[in-house]
Amino acid sequence: MDDAPVTTSPAPANRPIWQRPVSRRVVLATGATGAAAAAMAVLWKGNDLSQILNHVRDLTHGYQGALSNERVRVAHLLRRAGFGAIKTELDHYAAMGQAAATEALLNYSKTSNTTLESQLPTIDVTTGTQPTAASIQGWWLQRMVETARPLEEKMTLFWHGLLTSGLDKAGTTQMFTQNQLYRSLALGNFDALLKAVSKDPAMMVYLDTETNRNGKPNENYARELMELFTTGIGHYTEDDVRESARAFTGWTLPGAKQLRYATTSVFVARLHDAGAKTFMGKTGNFTGDDIVEMLVPLRATAVRLTTRLFSFFAYPNPDPEIVNHLADTFQKAHYNVGAVVKEIFAMDAFYSDKAYRALVKTPAELVAQTLKATGATTKGYTAAAGAMGPMGQVLFYPPNVAGWPGGTSWINSSTLLNRINFANAATVRSRTTLPTQPLAQLSDTLIDANASAATRDGLQAFAAAHPDDQAGLLFMVLATPEFQLN
Amino acid sequence: MFSRRDFIKQGLLPVFAGSAVPSVFANGVAAAAADAPNATPSDRILVLLQLAGGNDGLNTVIPFQDGAYHDARPTLRQDQGVLRLNAQLGLHPNLKGLKASFDAGQLAIVQGVGYPNPNLSHFASMSVWETASVQGGIGDGWLGRYLNYLDQVGESPNHALEGVSAGSLVPPELRSKTPVTALQSLKTFRLQPVNEHGTIVGAENPLMKFYGGFKTAGPAPFGALLDTTLQEALQASHALQATDASYQPKATYPTNSPIASSLKLVAETIVSGLGVRVAHVTLGGFDNHSREKPVHDKLLLDLDLALAAFMQDLQGHGLGDRVLVMTWSEFGRRVKENGSAGTDHGTAAPMFLLGAPVQGGLYGQQPSLTDLNNGNLKFTTDFRSVYASVLQNYLKAPASELLGGNYEILPLLKA
Repeated sequence: MDDAPVTTSPAPANRPIWQRPVSRRVVLATGATGAAAAAMAVLWKGNDLSQILNHVRDLTHGYQGALSNERVRVAHLLRRAGFGAIKTELDHYAAMGQAAATEALLNYSKTSNTTLESQLPTIDVTTGTQPTAASIQGWWLQRMVETARPLEEKMTLFWHGLLTSGLDKAGTTQMFTQNQLYRSLALGNFDALLKAVSKDPAMMVYLDTETNRNGKPNENYARELMELFTTGIGHYTEDDVRESARAFTGWTLPGAKQLRYATTSVFVARLHDAGAKTFMGKTGNFTGDDIVEMLVPLRATAVRLTTRLFSFFAYPNPDPEIVNHLADTFQKAHYNVGAVVKEIFAMDAFYSDKAYRALVKTPAELVAQTLKATGATTKGYTAAAGAMGPMGQVLFYPPNVAGWPGGTSWINSSTLLNRINFANAATVRSRTTLPTQPLAQLSDTLIDANASAATRDGLQAFAAAHPDDQAGLLFMVLATPEFQLN
Repeated sequence: MFSRRDFIKQGLLPVFAGSAVPSVFANGVAAAAADAPNATPSDRILVLLQLAGGNDGLNTVIPFQDGAYHDARPTLRQDQGVLRLNAQLGLHPNLKGLKASFDAGQLAIVQGVGYPNPNLSHFASMSVWETASVQGGIGDGWLGRYLNYLDQVGESPNHALEGVSAGSLVPPELRSKTPVTALQSLKTFRLQPVNEHGTIVGAENPLMKFYGGFKTAGPAPFGALLDTTLQEALQASHALQATDASYQPKATYPTNSPIASSLKLVAETIVSGLGVRVAHVTLGGFDNHSREKPVHDKLLLDLDLALAAFMQDLQGHGLGDRVLVMTWSEFGRRVKENGSAGTDHGTAAPMFLLGAPVQGGLYGQQPSLTDLNNGNLKFTTDFRSVYASVLQNYLKAPASELLGGNYEILPLLKA
């Protein structure tokens, strides 16, 4: 369980700044590589921290160079592009090498997912009855755990957190249908996705477009489309909200009495306001699609979406150079989201020290990787999805239209106890079926064999004191602070 | 079979034996054990109740004699059963408990509360209210700054239950430099024992070491965050388990009502004498752009029944004089209803202050329904004036300092 040695950076000096692993370059330039590695070794022996910090204060934290090891890079990629990995998965992708693994994750349509599909419970949205919330939550969690296309599920979760709808208003059949929409357009063009979601029944119920009609405009969707889905606040006026609400009139759900059941929407011309609207300085008989086509090319939209994507996959608050580069990528690719994600995975910033363990595992990520490690039945998935609520994330039920606030808000005294208690319950439940795995292997798969001296020594002490307690050992690894981060 | 509570009661705290316990943790537990059962009677508790989504103020405190109200609300107006406060204004028919409190002089209603240049975004406007700053932002919340103040002046019991929130997230109002605990249930707020072949294995001690080591070895800010949070969590759970869990509600709370469950949890925390100073609960669902009436009617009914039970419960425990409830919402709704029998985002709305510490009555001025700004009410009382009054006259804290400005103090509270 030693820290990976710091090796020579492959980054040529003439690359643009967003492709440089800045902090490691500082080390190389000052010839401090050896000192940093030596300092880490000392740290792990528990020697004077202030001395060590003097050597490494240019660096962001105590894990410099962890991502110089390719197996760790692949594990990092699998955590970010998916929901983490168990040993067989990590071995599989690591054997391909980072470049091929990235390619395989991105081009997931070439990967068969029939094994997963055959395992999933049937969710039938055509019978006129609503499946339970628990059943669709368990269904999605099982997809996250068992999919052969991790990025497809991860992007579906991304869209669920950005283009939010929730069971507080929409029905389970509608949320299930929206989930399929996000999966099908996960890495597609943003304008196509926004046009589709503007007519998506769950969204139409959640943000009231189903009641938005000629002469009776409803501002809800129009406002959130700009404030949250595209440009962000400060790039539109209250008049733009009012006028664009008129443009989105006409789409409605059939069978008003069973509003929460409709899984298709229809355009009814007489409900559409065909009058002239003035939106962002232009006047015309705009439809909702026209509004989307005016919003998507705006630089503010590109900046906002790519910032969000980079923060989701790499680390929060990226430098303007990174955002500008990704916004350019997005616009040159005709608003293709897959092009942006591909670029993020190709950036050195994605594998920089700053990116390593720079995100808190979301409850979805934490629970999914825990279930990968312990195994689960259909019933187990449903129960585990329910256990996510006390951690702050109920699938299909974001706290409000802005989605989950994320970041440090995932961690408070209540959620942390629930995260640790979930690991306990999951390992106890599976204790008779767990494969025997020595500490080194659990540590390699779950925390990159890269932990603080306190964690490393504590895990070794536990393993020595309880040699037959596989469930207890797995629990201890899952309960580490290292595992709480992604 | 050992009970951890027994150990703690005997002062043995086996969990810390031989471990390097950070001093804040050790002190905190000691302080919690010492202070909790003997909380001083002068301790005052503020319960903040958020009506999330933008409450329709005009259908909460109703200007039922105003023709403009009836014109603007052809389908949403409350025609019958309005609970009259005076010749012009009445409470929504479902607010019977609040009306009784008003009649008993224990409900203050501040009319037309808002702020200059109102923002019609939920999130921008919430942030304004949460930080008591028209710029909003991610700094400490206005009550978080009060908790910081308690800490500075040495009035803080300095343990994790000083600020509590019912739910899984800590609300931005309580963001502070001192610990705040999100609570979902007092019974489950603990580290479950680790079971090895029927034997209890102590996990707290090793986990404390893992997280303690990660404080400096882990990446900022997560290393410190995880360590501090685990300390807070264990400290609070020990304090909870050290208390005799003898809480018996002195009121019947409605069932199937999330706001009633939240308020009951807050009551339990208060009654258990855990040193709570500020508590936060949320009732969501007010963003009714369509078919507002049935939803809003139900929300106000749930609110009223839950508050009535909460106040009765606290009074039954002799704690009525120590608790003030204050409601807020990020904005009211548009005066004129929209075409979907709902209302779009608006501006000013009334606030409620409830409890024995209150000087009951109507405060401020009802905004005009015809002199509007883009169809929205012009606010008549700045919300920071209400905050200042609560901080200054109820919590006895320096309002100008905590709010970064001087705001008119309203006589909402008894001396």
